[in-house]
Amino acid sequence: MSTTTLTRLEGAGPAAAPPSALRLQPFRTVSGGLIDRCSPLPFSFDGRRYMGVQGDTLASALLANGVRLVGRSFKYHRPRGLLAAGSEEPNALVELRGGARREPNTRATVAELYAGLEAASQNRWPSLALDALGVNGLVAPVLAAGFYYKTFMWPAALWERLYEPMIRRVAGLGRAAGADDPDAYEKVHAHCDVLVVGGGPAGLSAALAAGRAGARVILVDEDFVLGGRLNAERREIDGSPAAEWLSATLAELRSLPEVRLLARTTLFGVYDHGAYGAVEREGDHLAVPPEHAPRQRLWRIAARQAVLAAGALERPHVFGGNDRPGIMLAGAVRTYLNRFGVLPGHSVAVLTSGDDGWRTVDDVAAAGGRVAAVIDTRAEAPPELRRRAEALGARVIAGGHVAGTRGRLALASVDVAGAGGRTERIACDCLAMANGWNPLVHLDSHLSARPVWSEAIHAFVPGPGHGHGPDAGMRAAGAAAGRLTLAECLETGGRAGAEAASACGFAAVAPAVPTTDPEGVAHVPLWRAPRSRGKAFVDFQNDVAASDIELAHREGFRAVELLKRYTTLGMATDQGKTSNLSGLGIMAELTGRTIPGVGTTMFRPPYTPVAIGAFAGHHRGRDFRPTRQVASHAWCVENGAVFVEAGLWRRPAYVPRPGEGDWMVSVSREVETVRARVGLCDMTTLGKIDIQGPDAAAFLDRVCANAIGTLPVGRCGYAVLLREDGLMMDDGTVARLGESRFVITVSSAHAAKVMQHLEFCRQWLWPGLDVRMASVSEQWAQYALAGPRARDTLRGIVDPDFDLADAALPVLGCAAVTVGGGIPARLFRLSFSGELAYEIAVPAGYGDAAWRALMAAGAAHGICAYGAEALSVMRIEKGYPAGAEINGQTTAGDLGLGALLAADKDYVGRLMKDRPGLADPDRPVLAGFHPVDRGARLRAGAHFFGLCATPSLAADEGSMTSVAYSPTLGHWIGLGLIRRGSARHGERVRAYDPVRGGDVVVEICPPAFVDPNGEKLHA
Amino acid sequence: MPETEVAARPASSAWQPRSPWEGHARPGRHGRAEGAPGLILQPRGRSGLALLIAAPGRDTELGNRLAAHLGWSLPEPGRTRIAGERGLIWAAPGQWLALAEAPEDLRELDTLLDGVAAVTDQSDGRAVVRVSGGRAREALAKGVTVDLHPRAFGPGRTAVTGIAHIGAQLWQRDAEPTYDIAVARSFAGSFWDWLTAASAEFGYVVEPGPRA
Repeated sequence: MSTTTLTRLEGAGPAAAPPSALRLQPFRTVSGGLIDRCSPLPFSFDGRRYMGVQGDTLASALLANGVRLVGRSFKYHRPRGLLAAGSEEPNALVELRGGARREPNTRATVAELYAGLEAASQNRWPSLALDALGVNGLVAPVLAAGFYYKTFMWPAALWERLYEPMIRRVAGLGRAAGADDPDAYEKVHAHCDVLVVGGGPAGLSAALAAGRAGARVILVDEDFVLGGRLNAERREIDGSPAAEWLSATLAELRSLPEVRLLARTTLFGVYDHGAYGAVEREGDHLAVPPEHAPRQRLWRIAARQAVLAAGALERPHVFGGNDRPGIMLAGAVRTYLNRFGVLPGHSVAVLTSGDDGWRTVDDVAAAGGRVAAVIDTRAEAPPELRRRAEALGARVIAGGHVAGTRGRLALASVDVAGAGGRTERIACDCLAMANGWNPLVHLDSHLSARPVWSEAIHAFVPGPGHGHGPDAGMRAAGAAAGRLTLAECLETGGRAGAEAASACGFAAVAPAVPTTDPEGVAHVPLWRAPRSRGKAFVDFQNDVAASDIELAHREGFRAVELLKRYTTLGMATDQGKTSNLSGLGIMAELTGRTIPGVGTTMFRPPYTPVAIGAFAGHHRGRDFRPTRQVASHAWCVENGAVFVEAGLWRRPAYVPRPGEGDWMVSVSREVETVRARVGLCDMTTLGKIDIQGPDAAAFLDRVCANAIGTLPVGRCGYAVLLREDGLMMDDGTVARLGESRFVITVSSAHAAKVMQHLEFCRQWLWPGLDVRMASVSEQWAQYALAGPRARDTLRGIVDPDFDLADAALPVLGCAAVTVGGGIPARLFRLSFSGELAYEIAVPAGYGDAAWRALMAAGAAHGICAYGAEALSVMRIEKGYPAGAEINGQTTAGDLGLGALLAADKDYVGRLMKDRPGLADPDRPVLAGFHPVDRGARLRAGAHFFGLCATPSLAADEGSMTSVAYSPTLGHWIGLGLIRRGSARHGERVRAYDPVRGGDVVVEICPPAFVDPNGEKLHA
Repeated sequence: MPETEVAARPASSAWQPRSPWEGHARPGRHGRAEGAPGLILQPRGRSGLALLIAAPGRDTELGNRLAAHLGWSLPEPGRTRIAGERGLIWAAPGQWLALAEAPEDLRELDTLLDGVAAVTDQSDGRAVVRVSGGRAREALAKGVTVDLHPRAFGPGRTAVTGIAHIGAQLWQRDAEPTYDIAVARSFAGSFWDWLTAASAEFGYVVEPGPRA
């Protein structure tokens, strides 16, 4: 939540730099800018050490050191330099940091310099200056648009093995770290009345207007210094340097308690209902974020109103060789000069199609640079501007254009074609391009608003669409609205801020509009040079040239959507910020249409790339999603239990004892202990729903397919729940605690779904029933105590006044008791193992104590804890269906529960269960399976086929759903669904599992393998 | 089996309740060590918490009985009426949470509200933590989507929401600000991990919780 900005260090300030630091930066000016020359920052680029200063970006520091070649282009590996000074930079993508913190594809123009920053160029081998793949430039003619589609089509088999890996190696961008990110990320939710996007003159005016009215304001800006282009231009407000207005405005905004200024924060997306996404780079400008602080924060901002004051981006010129390092946007040249105290070149030429570019002339001269020439593409250069430039010694060429450029790895000269057709060579090491500005309509179009063409500024401006306009809560101001001059920014920004605050109910007035120095805005864009030599790039990042657009035109890909996909124009990580309009302009020329006639491109979030880590925030690794702990968790951990994830729950799977090297040994021992003595299992994960009210019984009769209403108080029953479509939803148990009070337990995995279903039935199907329900899943710890010695063990914790004899608490009985000397508990005589068994529920706070007490009480009887694995083995041994069988495709009849369904009442799913498909006697139904060769292993997922059948879909008879090694029987057993299974006991079939190489002959048998008559249950 | 729970007697000493925060909350100063702590986290003990669900059309009768016997009045949606550690918290349409010092204090509600509201004991089902301090709002904003700004939310307000993918109900006790946050008991560990991660940059103190 840092809002730090550097204080402006004006010319005569304390900026006497250490001579050593400056000597190392040959292009650094002696004074001026928002940098601290007294705070040198060492850094490295491609292994070489350099010195920058506090306030630099990596880009400005490299320029100050005379490093102009910063990357190789994506496709042709052409040498590239800095084009821009902001986040729109297409060329200077670098790798930052090393080791686990290495990050690819950051634009050097937004990488804030810090001491020790390690940066490396990308997409070159073996080095930037000597790139072996630069030969791609020589074969450029075959690498034109559509190259991939045309070349790598045949033979198709080579695509995965050869073409794709090859293309990835050649065209790859940076490298990911390949190790866990050591830094923390987090998410923050924020709310405000007015969100202001952009901290330039328009945004600050808007924030001021809204903030003064008392509105809650959040202003975000992607830069680490607020002020926007006020920091990049030499402007005056109210007769003083703009910096004075800026610092006074920032001071006032900081004094307003409800105004929050977020620098280093990119508003990357606009979403429905006033939701905005932003990412704050809180620690990116530090080598390592401070302890306990995140590297980045993802802000989810809910705003009632928003002011889009994101500014505008300057457009390059399209001419042959326009990508040579040293050729930059004119506004970027002024940013480097005025904000960073860096001369982008000693001899600067300016190529402009409007008055705006001429600003560069004075700025270069003021910083001590030489202006070699000004080429104005308009027929007439404004006389006053021409006089001033010529007075500075510049050659002025009106009605001209650049026809070619020269220089090996950086610009050395430009060939300028004059109005008369004569070409002259002008030596320069920097060419500043000014071709008009595009309002940043990105965020406005995230909600599908189409920008509209403005003839006044020859650019698209926000239109009256869905995302824009007061109704939708977003209004544009300043350059983002196409109001490009400083005076307009101040005026429209203040007005938009006041309107936004008023829309939120605040009495807001626009601040008085200060006066500004005059600025010329006349402008006639030139979409490409009429004649030039060499590749003329439109999209620098994706290496799309004007010739590619001509090719697309020739081949019929003229619609803007097709143009984009055929040429990849605008499809790089910069989303075509500097290229889209030039592409449209050229296509408009080729087709003889207007630019809006050709179309426009819309923008999707994110505005700039956002690290995945920021979206994950806290939720990664162990915290990827929340986990739930069972009541006996502490005991299980102390005793070395192995856990298994069951939904969000961490359930003990088994509790190995010393010397048990294999999970099956532990599980078998747990099963044998339960069958011979007694075992304790944590069933807290079961869904438990308390149902009360005079109509509770009637309600349950309608949601359960079997008879429930007749259940006596103090008894439990099996419950079958069907879905509306007649298939099984879940099974569970219902206990009648009182005349009008029940508690129903359902599978852990279905707990939330069943609760939702019951609430739907209550609220929507039968609102007239007086029944109320509450989840008590978390209130009660519930344990299964099973085995011949279960009653003896239970006796050790239940208070003595309660009779546990079979007569008092028979099978399916339930009782309220107390344990441990007065703690309320519920006792249910339920068994999932076929043994004498109880489920005991205690208030969850006593869950740990009850577990320990049961383990202590059972010690004399040979008790062991058993986990989900043994539980599953025993239910398979008993043939009870569970999640693998109640899988959303089976009916109660399929699972052998048909006899339970009540014939004399209505219930959810009653009619649909009888539809032809579900009543088909040929359906796969539940059966048991044991291997004919008792030593063979069974596998769930195997499909059943007749012994002589060839496996095929048509011959498929069903599948194995659950298997277990039964220690009771000494061999593997399985449950499965097979056609007419209940009538085929004794028949043999193949259990065929080609995935794992299994092919076992199995015999179909009744599903209950152990104690089929349930004698042990009634002990 | 009677409809109400068996009257409780004092538990023997071997049966100590376990706090849902045990094993997670470590008393003391954590996170940023410099300066005053931004937050105080106080794991709450096993207080009484019961969900009251009014029978259809019996809201008024429910309110009357609570007022007559306990001096409580039903809060409006999104509101609480709490004095000290006792009172009512709105929980859903027609549903309120009754709050008391101990679970036993709410045992009489079942009888008192017979016929007008279903009462389910949730004293053990929820883990409650009290969060206060000058940076509490900023820390909570890392997971709470509800606007907690004083203009939008204040003492006497409650919200049922999700925090870090965990269902939660929070209510504000005072303007310091102090919030009580209740999550399902089994989620206590994951919730604590989030809460402490969110608080770390401000520095926080965990007050010793009761044993349960």
